Order: sequence, then structure tokens, then C-alpha cells
Amino acid sequence: MTQANSNGSTIRASTVESEPPTIAIKSLNHVYFDYQSKKTVHALKDVELEIQPSELVTVVGPSGCGKTTLLNIIAGFIKPTEGQILVNGRPVNKPGKDRGVVFQELAILPWRTVYRNIAHGLEIQKVAKEEIERRVRRLTELTGLEGFENHYPHQLSGGMKQRVAVARTWAADPEIILMDEPFAAVDAMTRQTLQEELLSLTVRTGKTVFFITHSVEEAVFLGDRVIALSARPGRVKADITVPVSRANRSWREMSKNDALQECVEDVLELVRGEATASDRSGGAVSADRTHEA
Amino acid sequence: MKPDDVAKGRSAVGSEAGTAALHAAAVPGAVTRVARAGATLRPAAPFLIALIIWWGAWALLRPPDIILVPPNKVFSALLDLVRQGLLDAFIKVSLERLARGVLVGILIGVPVGWLLGLNEDVSRAAEPILRFFNAVSGIAWLPLMILWFGFSERTISAIIVYTMAFPVIFNTMLGVSTIPNRLPNACRTLGAGSLRIIKDVYVPGSFPSVMTGFRLGIGYGWRALIAGEFVVGGGGLGFLIFNARTQGNIAEVMGGMIVLGLLWLMIDRLILSSVEQNIIGRWGLMRT
Repeated sequence: MTQANSNGSTIRASTVESEPPTIAIKSLNHVYFDYQSKKTVHALKDVELEIQPSELVTVVGPSGCGKTTLLNIIAGFIKPTEGQILVNGRPVNKPGKDRGVVFQELAILPWRTVYRNIAHGLEIQKVAKEEIERRVRRLTELTGLEGFENHYPHQLSGGMKQRVAVARTWAADPEIILMDEPFAAVDAMTRQTLQEELLSLTVRTGKTVFFITHSVEEAVFLGDRVIALSARPGRVKADITVPVSRANRSWREMSKNDALQECVEDVLELVRGEATASDRSGGAVSADRTHEA
Repeated sequence: MKPDDVAKGRSAVGSEAGTAALHAAAVPGAVTRVARAGATLRPAAPFLIALIIWWGAWALLRPPDIILVPPNKVFSALLDLVRQGLLDAFIKVSLERLARGVLVGILIGVPVGWLLGLNEDVSRAAEPILRFFNAVSGIAWLPLMILWFGFSERTISAIIVYTMAFPVIFNTMLGVSTIPNRLPNACRTLGAGSLRIIKDVYVPGSFPSVMTGFRLGIGYGWRALIAGEFVVGGGGLGFLIFNARTQGNIAEVMGGMIVLGLLWLMIDRLILSSVEQNIIGRWGLMRT
């Protein structure tokens, strides 16, 4: 990691003027044919977005607004109809280990223990055994999974499983981490803990994170910036900078901090119109912390 | 979990009072022993009931030996077969035929199932015809097979391979195609190439379903084998049963049937289900 960083900074130093953002989304349009409804869906329209190194950008929008499609395009799982994704200036056309993904539905392997799930990316990258051990130990500590190394996923609670998914993605040490509503399926109490853990993890490791959610509170709580997407076809409706530094946030602070509360109100206001628009088509945006899974 | 608890209870008691503890320790030990014996004996009870009904029916009706014989006659007929060395010879022939057919069936079924399963459109298109051939049992093919291969070893092999291959193809395909896309996708983001994904995701992920295919296929194959031996002959349990009938030896017919059932129970219990439970049990019944 130190090597990659020093390499990165020398490259950046030589190109002082045009330091590229970590992720640049350029005039992105995506249209696909939905076999179930037998309709052509215009999922994303003229999306422009730049994400800087070590930034945590959250994306909110009503269900079906193309949030997940956008993440899948950045991850390289699908090719956009039009436009481009640049990661450090290079166009994306397939999945790569520079972009880790934490999925909405669990994607850890049920036949691997917690340890071997977390180690998976490192095994693939042929990292030495002792180094794998060291990194897995560090991540089990950071994510509160100590003592569960030899458990299989089915022996864990929902929150613990999601911790494994997060730890696995972090262990492989990608520059960018894409998260698709990773905490939607856990109970409200666990969710708050996981959100706080994620904050400290991102602050400590300095990863660039792209985080999708349909909860406005979650978006404000976690993000440096909140991107509000419109109802389908998804467009960037607003790009709001959260006024409090990520390093000093906790749910306790959140309820007392006027600036953060105001920010939630602002985003809610922006998104509310979209929610009613998309309610007619079955989508919704929730503001409360205890929204449904 | 359970034995652990018992052990803990024991040591706790032991540290408090010496001799009383010894006595107390014997009780949970005895209880588990009785429970364990009960658990192993329980499946035997229905067999015992079946035997009693059989014997009762015979004692009540007193049919001629050409219709029904009592259990003891069947038992002595089996003993005779064992003494003559015929029973194990016939069992050996049958099991060898089964093993050969099963092996070929797996060698065909698993790769074909795999290839079909990897592509969603292909597997969707292949499903109905696979169901169709699954339904047309191996026995139904016998007349055609005899026309093609004659009353030969090849006919028997062909129907076992057939009955084995289709459930294996079908279930392997199902196992591969039902693995959610996010699992291979997640591995791709960890830097895995196609071979690695096959090894780490598709092979273990399809394993339970492949095992179901094996189990079904071997079960169907076993039945097809007996039918094949009825018709083709050349030794084997099916031949034993059919041949005994033509000689009017009902005791041997029934003895052969009992051996058939017991052998299958052993194959299924000892080999197939233990492998399955060992591996699937560890992963949990549900896929996450």
C-alpha cells in the first residue's frame, strides 16, 4: 500500500495541473430492456459526477432511480449505453481489484469460514500466508469479528455477516469501495453500530467510498457529500456538502448537531418531491432511521 | 453441544463432593447410552413390524409355497445361496455393473450439466427436455436398447448410464445456474479470473445439487440395473430373482428382493448421505 501510494504521488507530482479525480463519471446515459415488464427503461440520464481521493460520497434517491445501475457501471459489471467512467483517469470497462464492492444482498461465500472469506481476495492476489494472517487479524479487530474466525456464515447474525462482507472488501485493499445499501437488511440498532464502525474504518484507512442508500439520514450521517438522484431516469438533482467533518460524527452527536439536522432537512426537501413522483411507480425514500429492510 | 454440557455438569459436581459425584456421573452417562441405543434401534422397529405382518399373513392364510413362503424359509434359502458362494458372486456382478454405469454417467453428466448451467439462456432452454428424458425411465428404453445392442452387457450399461446421466446433468445444471450472480461478481472485484471463479464459487456452490443428482441417479440406476438383469441376464441379483421365479423358488425370489433393498440402504446410508451431510451440514442448509 505504501508503495502504491508513493507511486501514485510521484505520478501526481509530475502532472501537477491536471490531477484526475479518483472517480469521474462523464455524461453517463443508460438504457436497457426490462424483460419482466417488456419495456425499455431509461435508467440514468446525463449523470456527471466527480469523486476525490478519500472522499465518502453517498447517493440517495427513490427506489428504481438507477442508483444500483450506477454502482454496477462503476464496478464494471455493466457497460453504459453512453458516456464513460474514469478511475484515476483510466476508463473502466470491466470489474477490477481497484474497486471493491459490498453488495446489498450478502455476497460472502457460505462454504468458507469467516477467516477464509476475509482472506479470499488476498489469496487470489497470491499474498504471502503470514501477510494474509496479519491483515485478516487487523480487519477482524477493526470490524469486531475476533473469535468468530472459524465460524461459517450461517452461524452468524445478519449484522455479523455484513461485517464479514465489509472486512473481506477492505482486506483486499482496493483504492475504491462501492457499497450498495449494505446495511438495509439488518435491524435498526445494529445498523447504527455498523454505520459508526464504517465511519471510523473509512477515516482510518482513507478509502474512497461510493455509498448507496435510500435513507436520507444515513446518507448525511456517513457522507462528505450527498448526491440526490431524481426519479427515473436518474439524474443528479443536487450535490450537497455535509457541513461537519466525518471524523467527529456519532449518532449521539447527530441528533444534537443543528448543522447536520438542517442538512438532513435540506436533502429531505429535495428528495421528497421525487419520492411522491416515484411512489406512483412503487418506489419510496425514507427519512427515518428505522425504515423497513 | 450436549455431551459437553454433560461433561461440565459432571466436573462441577465432582469438585464439590467425591463419592456422590461418581454416582451422579453414572446417571447422565447411562441416560445418553440408552438414548443412543434407542436412536439406532428405532429404524429397525418398522422392519420388525413388517416381518411380523408377513409371518402373520402366512400363518393365517397358509398359502402354497409357490405363492408365499414364511420368513424362516427365505432366511434358509439365503443361507444356502451364501454357502454355495452364489449370493456374493451375484452381488458382485450387480455392483460392478452399477459402478461402471455410474462412473460413466458421472463423467458424462457433470461436464454437460456444467456447460449447460454456466449460460442462463442455455440452461433455461435445456430444462424442459431434460425433465422429459428424466421422466422416460431407463426401463422404458429397454426394448429399443435390446434392438440396438442385443441381450448383452452393453444394453445393461447403456440403461444405467442413461438413468444416471440425466438426473446428474439436470441437477448439476440447476446447481450451477442457481448460484446468484453477485457471488462470482464479488470475486471478480477481488481480482479473480474465470478459472478461479469456477474453482472457488461454481464448484463448491453447485456441490449440494450435484450430490442430489448423484443420489437420484444411482437410485434410478439401481432399479434400471435390476430390470436389465431380468431381461438380459448374465448373472446379478436381477437374474437371481427372475431365474428363481422361473423355477418356482419363491424363497429365493423374496430373498433376492430383501438383499436388493438392504444393499441399497447401505449404499445410500453409508456412502451418499454421509458425504452429503458432512459437507452440506457444515455450510448450513440455507445458502446465504
